[in-house]
Amino acid sequence: MSVQSSVEVHTEWGIVSARQAGRNLAKEIGFGSVDQARVTTAISELARNIYLYAEKGEIIIETIEQYHSSGAKKGIKITAKDRGPGIKNIREVMEDGFTTSGGLGAGLPGVKRLMDDFDIDSVVGEGTVITAVKWLR
Amino acid sequence: MADSYSLMQEQYRKILVTYLKEKNEQGLYYAQQFSKKVLENQISPEEVVSLHIEAIEELFPYMPEGAVDSFEFLLEVMMGYGLAYREHQSLRDKQRELENEINVAASMQQTFLPKEIPFVQDLDVGVLSVPASKMSGDYYHFVKDENGCVGLAIADIIGKGVPAALCMSMIKYAMDSYPEQRLQPGALLENLNRVVEQNVAANMFITMMYGSYDPRVHHFYYSGAGHEPGFYYNYAEDSFDELSAKGVVLGIRRDSSFLEYHKKVEPGDFIVLLSDGVTECRTDDGFIEREEITNLIRQYKHLPAQQLVENVFYQLEKLQGFQLRDDFTLIIIRREV
Amino acid sequence: MNLDIKTEHSKEEAILYIEGEVDAYTAPQLKEAIEPLTEKDGQLVTVDLTNVSYIDSTGLGIFVGALKSSEANNSKLRLVGLNQRVMRLFSITGLDEVIDIEEGKKEGTQ
Repeated sequence: MSVQSSVEVHTEWGIVSARQAGRNLAKEIGFGSVDQARVTTAISELARNIYLYAEKGEIIIETIEQYHSSGAKKGIKITAKDRGPGIKNIREVMEDGFTTSGGLGAGLPGVKRLMDDFDIDSVVGEGTVITAVKWLR
Repeated sequence: MADSYSLMQEQYRKILVTYLKEKNEQGLYYAQQFSKKVLENQISPEEVVSLHIEAIEELFPYMPEGAVDSFEFLLEVMMGYGLAYREHQSLRDKQRELENEINVAASMQQTFLPKEIPFVQDLDVGVLSVPASKMSGDYYHFVKDENGCVGLAIADIIGKGVPAALCMSMIKYAMDSYPEQRLQPGALLENLNRVVEQNVAANMFITMMYGSYDPRVHHFYYSGAGHEPGFYYNYAEDSFDELSAKGVVLGIRRDSSFLEYHKKVEPGDFIVLLSDGVTECRTDDGFIEREEITNLIRQYKHLPAQQLVENVFYQLEKLQGFQLRDDFTLIIIRREV
Repeated sequence: MNLDIKTEHSKEEAILYIEGEVDAYTAPQLKEAIEPLTEKDGQLVTVDLTNVSYIDSTGLGIFVGALKSSEANNSKLRLVGLNQRVMRLFSITGLDEVIDIEEGKKEGTQ
């Protein structure tokens, strides 16, 4: 039912491919240019985290639909998976100013703000899975 | 949010059209007003770029392709600012929350200090305590017992701000639990020292000067625990002496003892107690000498005690460019002539 | 402002040469340098304050903490080279009675 693409991230090229895949799908779904840029930036940040901290992982991008009594809602879902070191203190990395000091990047709070739904699971020594959804308004 | 965005879109297009037609300062003034509105409505930088793209796509449907694309490029560049802007907003909210908490704590702290200075026959008392920031590390205490005798203390807790304020609550409750020692400064400090020694971190300590004044005979007994010396003004000789009491700060040794000193207070004499925020007062030319403080006191000594301390504080504050580096407390107790 | 700390080790003595002002901002830096030394059994820790112009109460607290740590760990703390202003602080607070202090210029160590 859904269009799905998966991009391996272990080089900076992988980050660009993930961005490209995300932008294409966002455009296809009908997102405006600002939201396209938001989705792409979120993918970029998540892919960069994989590249910097886990070395290897993948970004899965797919269309999702949700049915309500009032009709259906369409959106784009990003899943970032890695088998890296995991995050010890999730609350800490979700805090503003933790990773972004010095303007190094948007960090996870930035990704959360760019998207509508956000979820993170991480086990130290096993890896991290982050999902983020943006709904079409 | 979506509503305000479409409203802004409409307005932006209007003022842009006006400006492009008239190209005058008024139009730019509208732009400035609009930028305030953008902030008010929490519209982030990339959205402003988007407002612009949408407006000019409508105004110039035949724009060269490269120009349109360049705006998409700009939008991407602004994303980082957008994120930083949102983070800034959330940090500002957090700061406000913290400030509120500190305000509540600061007003709680006020309850540790005497609400008013009790009236004592023949004594004129002035007290001023000003924290460098919202919470203070300076503590003072003033009680009158049923015989009219007065117990008074001035204390400085190491450091300032919130940690010092937390420590102050301990001092306050400990002092309240030794009513029978109010007239024995040395014994009171010994008891207090035991409480402090057991309850503070290794690098915390408290300095205190404690005195008791018997207004029936005008004797002043006092002891000190490493506190900044005060002054004693001798009215008959018109001179200032150092009012010091040797003793180690509270919280170092469990079994410290404190010597008791005595002064017979004559009419017109006064006692000055202060915190090191008074003497550690720093100006561009370096630290203020203690002599400068006695000179200031001398200058205002004809005034009632409360006005005296307020004037001295004002002058010291002025010397520091109205910026306090440390908490400031000044107490004057004068035997009326 | 920064504190400049140089540490010299000989057989039984560690000498810390401090330069600058010890206040609320620099105190953590001093603490980090002194405390591990005072935790060593039998260690003599000498702190040379010849080039320290000013110490505030938070700074004094670090020396108090170091003293307590040396007493708990059977090491020894000694302060040398205090200028007049700094010495006054130690004597007002009565800390000169509990800490081993040598005023003024240090005459070299053994």
